[in-house]
Amino acid sequence: MSFRLHRALAVTWKEALDLRKNPGLLASMLALPAVLVLVPTGVVWAWLRHPDIVTFRSMALYYDPTLPLNADPVRFMIDKLVADWFGIFLLMPVFVPILISSQSVAGEKERRTLEPLLAAPVSASELLLGKSLASVVPAVAITWLSFAVFVVAVDAVAWPLVQGPVLPNGMWLFGVGVVAPLFAFLGNGLAVLVSARVGEARLAQQLSALVVLPLMGLVGGQLAGWIRAGTGYYALQGAVVLVLDILLVRASVRLFDRERLVSRWT
Amino acid sequence: MSRIEVRSLCKNFGPRTAVEGLDFDVAAGEVFGLLGPNGAGKTTTVRILTGLLRPTSGQATVCGVPLDGDGEMLRSRVGLLTEQPGLYDRLTARENLRFFLKLHHRDTPDSWEAARRWMQRFGLGGREDDKCGNFSKGMRQKLALIRALLHDPQALFLDEPTSGLDPESARAVREAVGELAAEGRTVVLCSHNMAEVERLCARVAVVKGRLLAVGTVPELRRQTGLVEIHVEGSAGAAGEALGPVVPPCVWVAEGHVLRVTLAGGVSIPDVVALLAGSRVRIHAVLPAQRALEDVYLELTRGSETEAT
Repeated sequence: MSFRLHRALAVTWKEALDLRKNPGLLASMLALPAVLVLVPTGVVWAWLRHPDIVTFRSMALYYDPTLPLNADPVRFMIDKLVADWFGIFLLMPVFVPILISSQSVAGEKERRTLEPLLAAPVSASELLLGKSLASVVPAVAITWLSFAVFVVAVDAVAWPLVQGPVLPNGMWLFGVGVVAPLFAFLGNGLAVLVSARVGEARLAQQLSALVVLPLMGLVGGQLAGWIRAGTGYYALQGAVVLVLDILLVRASVRLFDRERLVSRWT
Repeated sequence: MSRIEVRSLCKNFGPRTAVEGLDFDVAAGEVFGLLGPNGAGKTTTVRILTGLLRPTSGQATVCGVPLDGDGEMLRSRVGLLTEQPGLYDRLTARENLRFFLKLHHRDTPDSWEAARRWMQRFGLGGREDDKCGNFSKGMRQKLALIRALLHDPQALFLDEPTSGLDPESARAVREAVGELAAEGRTVVLCSHNMAEVERLCARVAVVKGRLLAVGTVPELRRQTGLVEIHVEGSAGAAGEALGPVVPPCVWVAEGHVLRVTLAGGVSIPDVVALLAGSRVRIHAVLPAQRALEDVYLELTRGSETEAT
């Protein structure tokens, strides 16, 4: 069966309409970005309100014993926080597609809409692409928008001390522009794969969300000072995720077999 | 030429056989009934013929497309009304239909106008922008039927099309089915509503894993031997003469009329000879027709007996 983009886009159109009319899902999608922007901004604001230089120097020396004496420890800690926070920020492009794809894939089974859909001349790969676009595009858009808000918020709060912009920097631009979309594909691929195996959207969300555990572990390593976050580190994460994305796409295409879907899901 | 040709069609799901050795043809413009109890393989058969499942063995051609041929072409030539309407509840009726028009690459004003005409006809006019989640079961069923018709299919597969509909809507659907067939479309109708099948279908297949019978409704009614014997005096007394001699046959007496269901290789001459031997005076022997429901029940129960 030949691949037709218009059919994949029709699926995306339907998914986008459905998403727009699902206030519960929209609220869930927006809650995480709000937290991921407000928390670090609040931390920087709290630090700068009563900067205790001695405490900051102690913290900075824990992370970098070679820190020069004339270096500003508060600025160091702000830069450190912003660099480490990107690891947590990556939860957003992973988690938003999990929320959407679990609903759109396992939800088809719950709503018994899959059979009429598969009886239409739409191929499994068109269906997969259409649904993936409907989940990855909003996830990346929300991530980029949140990044823009984060840049403005952090710079506004930090400006009195640093007298210049903290963000955007090269690491964040690379991370948000390249690594975040790769993580969005990871979240989408996992949700599609898990949704095809389980019967309910909620269970699919819960199982797919387990992917955040290794990410949280890595952030823990950063906070403990074992891992130094930077462009190279996030590029390495991106490369690993790219390999996982390719594996997930191949598995999903195999799983999105019409016969398998009909006999399992209807 | 047949619009649907099915030859030795089999489908297994692992060790379980869902359908086995199905053979039938359906002509263009014919309404063909597919009858069978729940789990008899009707839905599996429809899914195979609409390109949703691959047969384990056998072959079929639907609208000129072999099942192992171009699936995209097959699905663009058939329409399917599934047992569950399968509508997107948060979307409006218009959005639900437009989605399928887009999939068929027919999202044009003309196609939408045709869809609107169907909506008017089925009493859904003015509800285009209402969410399907607010529709009643009958409205959902009618909208799903319109969705199956949107792309002008040559063959329609309808699973319980009037289920949940009020009498007026059910009649509108039946009339529409008749008109679609008159336009040359082939309609395969799965139903448990015998009156509907008798009214709509030119021919009927009774399936239960395998094909139990296929033919026109009058042919099926005659297929299981029922004979009506008009006797002099009490038909009950005449029937007593039959009972102990031909145990597989069942008889019912009503006034002067004895109705005998032939079984166990017993033929009409055998019965007549028995009655004559018992000095029963016979005025007439007529082949009798049975209700389709009785035929259906006998065929499906008979297959259970064979299986055990």
